[in-house]
Amino acid sequence: MIKFVGVSKKYKNDIIAVSNINFTIDNGEFVFLVGPSGAGKSTILKLLLREEIPTTGSIFVDKKDITKLKRKEVPYLRRNIGVVFQDFKLLPNKTVYENIAFALQIVEAEPKYIRRRVPMVLSLVGLSERANSYPQQLSGGEQQRVSIARAIVNEPSILVADEPTGNLDPDTSWEIVKLLSEINKRGTTVIMSTHAKDIVDSMKKRVIALEKGNIVRDEMRGVYGYEA
Amino acid sequence: MKLNTAAYYIREGLTNVKRNRAMTVASITSVTAALLILGLFLIIILNVDSIANQVESQLELKAFINDNYDATKVAKVGEEIKAISGVKSITFESKKDALNSFKKQLGDKSYLVNGLENDNPMPQSFIVKVTDANMMKQVSEEIKKIDGVTQVSYGQDVVDKLLGIIKIIRIVGLFVILILFIISVVIISNTIKLGVFARRREINIMKYIGATDWFIRWPFLVEGIVLGLVGSVLAIAILGFIYGYASDLVNNKLIIFTLLSAGVVIKQSLVYFLAMGSLIGAIGSGISIKRFLNV
Ligand SMILES: Nc1ncnc2c1ncn2[C@@H]1O[C@H](COP(=O)(O)OP(=O)(O)O)[C@@H](O)[C@H]1O
Ligand SMILES: [Mg+2]
Repeated sequence: MIKFVGVSKKYKNDIIAVSNINFTIDNGEFVFLVGPSGAGKSTILKLLLREEIPTTGSIFVDKKDITKLKRKEVPYLRRNIGVVFQDFKLLPNKTVYENIAFALQIVEAEPKYIRRRVPMVLSLVGLSERANSYPQQLSGGEQQRVSIARAIVNEPSILVADEPTGNLDPDTSWEIVKLLSEINKRGTTVIMSTHAKDIVDSMKKRVIALEKGNIVRDEMRGVYGYEA
Repeated sequence: MKLNTAAYYIREGLTNVKRNRAMTVASITSVTAALLILGLFLIIILNVDSIANQVESQLELKAFINDNYDATKVAKVGEEIKAISGVKSITFESKKDALNSFKKQLGDKSYLVNGLENDNPMPQSFIVKVTDANMMKQVSEEIKKIDGVTQVSYGQDVVDKLLGIIKIIRIVGLFVILILFIISVVIISNTIKLGVFARRREINIMKYIGATDWFIRWPFLVEGIVLGLVGSVLAIAILGFIYGYASDLVNNKLIIFTLLSAGVVIKQSLVYFLAMGSLIGAIGSGISIKRFLNV
């Protein structure tokens, strides 16, 4: 469960990115975070990942207030929250397999487990054939699948995706969203920020809409609601 | 720390070492240079120490006797010296003995004293062995009071001088070593900084997928320590080779005392060198990890 309570974030340059944000996301939900550029979507995700600390308010992940985490505890929060970016953030000098295995090495998983787990995740994202390719040999959609595989390989309970389809064409975007939805059906909470009106409108999932740092709408089975 | 994680740190550390060849070479060279100078001072200190010991351990002083004293008078002086407490034994060295022993010291240059036999300038003396090094000064004062003794010399002067030299070498050495130490630390720290910079994307990703601070730091620490250790091993090898050659050369020419063998010197300084090398590396990378890694 994720809970934002009265969260505001003022950056160093005095820009108030979000103010008085309140929402609760239950385990297993699929949530779209929509709003125009600069509305504060990325800021909310960064706050959840503890990349930023709110100026006021509390953020609970599984009953624990993550704004109070010690520096040492932050990696363990992040191991429970998989993250996917618009620009994929894959390591160019590692193969697809190595990029995914790396996420397990970091948590000191047994090599035996890594050898079993990576092929499983690769097949889940449909990239078993590309295990030994390097990122630059893949299409954008395939690269995003690799980054999704990396995000879920150590079975986090939450998956955060910040405009994951921002660099992809509509058809490929649909494939990525379907993959996220598949992962969600297996029990992972998914939060995805996006500009893709068509996708949001037809998915009929919960939509939290932001404008100028405020929540203007929070609907179950919602729609995008802006002229995209 | 798990074994495969440790293996990962070492592998990544070595990858860093290979990544930036120019800086790696610069780092290793500076550590080697610093440790070579350190080694030079260490060798001098160890040798001067050993020479001081050699001189001191002889526990001998020499009482020079008036040139005009004949055998009976000399024998009487000998009796008086023997009577002094702290004197273990005495040996008489005649003018002729003294000249012969000087000839021996001159070796193949002994022709220089040819023809001096009839007008021997060497003094006659008693070589006095003392029971205890601490008695030297006291015994020598007593002997000086005896009629017919012109002068008393003993190794203490030399030992004192050597100890004074060691002191100066220590101070100068410490200062030079400190400066070289700092230079090496700065160069290694710059090398690591470039490594951090080259890997900043990777580090950023590692943070997102939940790597601990130390997981990110270790490879850089390994890199620094490897640079320091390689530098120190090189320094030992170079030093051992050159000193081995030089000490043989010197020992063949000197008779009064001997220089320590290269083996002994390396054995005594090996641990210092390896410790200094890894310390330089660890401090150098530690600085960069703290200032530039920000994890
Ligand atoms: N690190 C930062 N420092 C200062 N201002 C920032 C920073 N990150 C974002 N902002 C500002 O905060 C506001 C919200 O940004 P962001 O959360 O990235 O919006 P979105 O992801 O919805 O486009 C914007 O006005 C942006 O310029
Ligand atoms: Mg954004």
